[in-house]
Amino acid sequence: MNAPGAQIAFYSLSALTLISALMVVRARSIVHAGFWLLPCFIGVAGLFAALEAHFFFVVQLLIYAGAILVLILFAVMLTRDAAHPRHPQSNRMGWTAGLICSALIIVSAGLLTRQEWSVTAARPADVAGQTRALGEALIGRYVVPFEVASLLLLAALVGAIVLAKAERGPEPAPPPLADLGGEAREPAGAE
Amino acid sequence: MGLNSYLVVSALLFGIGTFAVLTRRNAIAVLMGVELMLNAANLNFLAFWRFLHPAAMEPQVFVLIGLTVAAADAAVGLAVVLNIYRDFGTIEVNRIDTLKG
Repeated sequence: MNAPGAQIAFYSLSALTLISALMVVRARSIVHAGFWLLPCFIGVAGLFAALEAHFFFVVQLLIYAGAILVLILFAVMLTRDAAHPRHPQSNRMGWTAGLICSALIIVSAGLLTRQEWSVTAARPADVAGQTRALGEALIGRYVVPFEVASLLLLAALVGAIVLAKAERGPEPAPPPLADLGGEAREPAGAE
Repeated sequence: MGLNSYLVVSALLFGIGTFAVLTRRNAIAVLMGVELMLNAANLNFLAFWRFLHPAAMEPQVFVLIGLTVAAADAAVGLAVVLNIYRDFGTIEVNRIDTLKG
């Protein structure tokens, strides 16, 4: 696990993730910030692969780098006027927020690394065994959380459609059926 | 690489996400910060799974539910943002200050 290759992979993936996350936070234009999310998500997916969580590597690429990123970029494009690049994108609390976040990072990282974790030398199962065990857990012991998650997704789907549906005025009343039939036949007869 | 290096990376990613949530004026950029924080949480879960309990299934189920919640959060959040844009003509979080629509 401490082979130089693994170390190089870890450091480069961490650098990719953190630098692109910083660019997401500091980019002047909201469109650039959205596109900087892509290397960030790919870096996190690489870290998942380095942790031997192969299933979540693929899921991270599909859901974050695929679906959520496209959704965010759609929303950016649909609200384009407010996202003029000249407009300042950050508020004036930069220094205060920086101090708060540095304190948060230092305290949480310090507390987490000071703890004596009982690290085991055991390795997780291989790809097939791991994915199979996860699938069996999802339809066996954890079937209730699984179903709740699917209900949540359904609710989110319906809610997003209802919320984002374009608001129109009251629909004009449809013409009576007889008129529809007449209109449809008229062009042929009129000429 | 040991557990501690992953924990530090995850804490940094979480802090960067918090910074985005605190400083950005655009509601979509705030949501991007929330996505970064959720990613950091998942990274932490998987690091603990890998180094402490590699045979346990619970951390993986947690991460899967977390991913689901993140997807639902992005979908509903962005729909709300679009609705706010339609009503207010802006998605700057400090100019959206009326409770009555």
